[in-house]
Amino acid sequence: MKRLITTAAIVATAMLLVTGCSPGSGGGGSGDSKSFEFWSFTGINQKADVEVYKKAHPDVEIKLTEVGSTTETAQALTTALAGGKVPDLVLIQGDDLPKFMQSADNFVDLASLGADQRKGDYLDWVMKQSVTQDGKIIGIPTDVGGMAIAYRTDLFKAAGLPTDRDQVSQLWPTWDGFLETGKKYVQATGKPFLDNTSTSVFFQAVNQGTERYYDADHKLSYDKNPQVKAAFDLALKIHKAGITSKITSWSTGWTAGMGKGDFAVVSAPSWMLNAIHTNAPNTAGKWDVAAIPGGSGNWGGSYLAIPKRAKNPKAAWAYIAEMQSPSGQLAHFLQQGALPTTPSVYSDPQLVAKTDPFFSNAPIGKIYTQSVLGIKPFYIGPEDATVGSEMLNTLVSVEQGKVAPDDAWNTALTNVKNALRG
Amino acid sequence: MLNPAPTAGATAPPLRNRRIRQGVRERLAPYAYVAPFFVLFLVFGLFPLLFTFYVALFDWNPIGEHHYVGLENFRQLVDDPRFWGALRNTVSIWLLSTIPQLFVALLLAHVLNHLRLRAATLFRMSVLVPYITSVAATTIVFAQLFDRDYGMLNWFLQLLGFDHVDFTASVWGSHLMIATMIMWRWTGYNTLLYLASLQAVPRELFEAAAADGANGWKQFRHITIPSLRPIIVFTVVTSTIYGLQVFTEPLLANSVGGLTCGAARQCQTLTLFLYEQGFGRFHFGYGAAIGVALFVMVVIAAALNYLLVTRIRSERP
Repeated sequence: MKRLITTAAIVATAMLLVTGCSPGSGGGGSGDSKSFEFWSFTGINQKADVEVYKKAHPDVEIKLTEVGSTTETAQALTTALAGGKVPDLVLIQGDDLPKFMQSADNFVDLASLGADQRKGDYLDWVMKQSVTQDGKIIGIPTDVGGMAIAYRTDLFKAAGLPTDRDQVSQLWPTWDGFLETGKKYVQATGKPFLDNTSTSVFFQAVNQGTERYYDADHKLSYDKNPQVKAAFDLALKIHKAGITSKITSWSTGWTAGMGKGDFAVVSAPSWMLNAIHTNAPNTAGKWDVAAIPGGSGNWGGSYLAIPKRAKNPKAAWAYIAEMQSPSGQLAHFLQQGALPTTPSVYSDPQLVAKTDPFFSNAPIGKIYTQSVLGIKPFYIGPEDATVGSEMLNTLVSVEQGKVAPDDAWNTALTNVKNALRG
Repeated sequence: MLNPAPTAGATAPPLRNRRIRQGVRERLAPYAYVAPFFVLFLVFGLFPLLFTFYVALFDWNPIGEHHYVGLENFRQLVDDPRFWGALRNTVSIWLLSTIPQLFVALLLAHVLNHLRLRAATLFRMSVLVPYITSVAATTIVFAQLFDRDYGMLNWFLQLLGFDHVDFTASVWGSHLMIATMIMWRWTGYNTLLYLASLQAVPRELFEAAAADGANGWKQFRHITIPSLRPIIVFTVVTSTIYGLQVFTEPLLANSVGGLTCGAARQCQTLTLFLYEQGFGRFHFGYGAAIGVALFVMVVIAAALNYLLVTRIRSERP
């Protein structure tokens, strides 16, 4: 009996050891060439696309996992690439892409599957970001984040401001005009005009330049580029004018304030419309969308990529080829509102005629495509996300009264330097 | 040897062999019984620990290249204000949470042990409820209580005629908030530990003290605390180790701060800084170096605790 127990204990130990030492042995694909695994992030509703595809191809099995936020998805992907089970298809947000581009060997070169034939379908400057120096195509762009301003028509009316979107757009051809409008609004109502300057001003303005944190030679130049400094100073100037509610984007107070009308204006890259929709459902019909001051720009957008160790890259590519074709992106826009990256559909009557009742029937297709057509593309490098978040965080600290506006620029540079070192 | 039969000599060697074999087996058996723990510890404890020391010497991109850099990561760490800030936050949150927590737990245990309460078991068990509640849920609720515009705490302050306080934005506010969450979670657990060992203290001791005219406070000081000394030591050590590794609360406390717990890293603890560097920015080498620094600190804290405790123990019997 004793011997039996001893043997059992040893066997159990050996089994633990064996299973403990073979990561990624669990699960495993079915080997069926029609099925694949897809990682996406939340809030972008890839599920709808997957359903459409499944309906057209009933024999295809897609296992969709919404991993979490864009950052969390990128983190999970990194961990998986470093030594775990990878998905066959993954959605990567534009700001996270450069890090993966640095280690392009982890991904299938989509040109080998036929992507080089379709490269021309997409906006040139968007496509460029997912092509390596030696011409490998790592990702196919799914959407871009054209920019605009969302405003509350009821609050504008109460403040004696025009409510028609064309007239509102004319109030602020420049950011200075925007500031003046804000002052008028605060004077009339005594309430904040804008949610914040960190996200709503700095992150918009810095994306309207011809260069951002890197120069044309792909060298970090955030501390020398006058456009970055100008965007930063603009945020400080609007902050000092005291027309914002100083509430950080995405905080609980921000989502609550949006529903309660604590501020009348939010900067709205195309994907923000969806966020307003979900955060403040009770304000349907009270919003409208006007042009952004300072001209065209882009913030956001995502890419679909196939990891090299994917079990079924062919099925994943078939999905990309169909859903991200110009007509596929148009269909997605009409249903979900994410802006296509394929300029051939920008003049499509369906896109031009698309309106959103939540935003007083604003022609969102027309407004947003105009904001990305005149765009001046700039290089986005591996440290862009780091530089951007340190700059943003410094401005948040200014809004929270922890950093004096006059010290803000130097603080931001110090913070960026510290972050780049580690 | 009383009956030296010739056949016995023939069977003796195999019998002895079997005895020896059985002896070896019996001596080995205990090791086999404890092996599951130690094998798991080896795979999930010791190996990662040693591997962390190794990775800390590299510039290590998890999906790219690894370069040996020697002690460069540690040199940068010493120069990094973010590291010292995280250390300050960790120590401050630990002090703010542990000291009041253990005092409250002691008092609660004393009270629960003495008062003639109806449904005593109910009260004793209910102090454990925060402990079994998910940390994430607790954190999210607390973060809403402390919210600047719509938090209940600020609503109270406004009723009393004060201005709204932006707790999460300030150093002290955010530390206080996180310390409150930790206290909420661990006080009941420590109370139960204290209560359990208090019940082992003979009631006659308290009765005799009461007969001699010792009031509640005197009983608490001269009977409760001395008799709980070993368990107090245990809770101080465990809460020190826990305090140095606080992670979930600062991660979720600041709904927008992400991995920095606020724009100015005002409540980023060491473990959160480690996570930010390792898994947010993918600087595995630098993250590992932070891990090694944390390891050294835990060892120092444990040694200090040990010294302090042995001294307390030897002072009074």
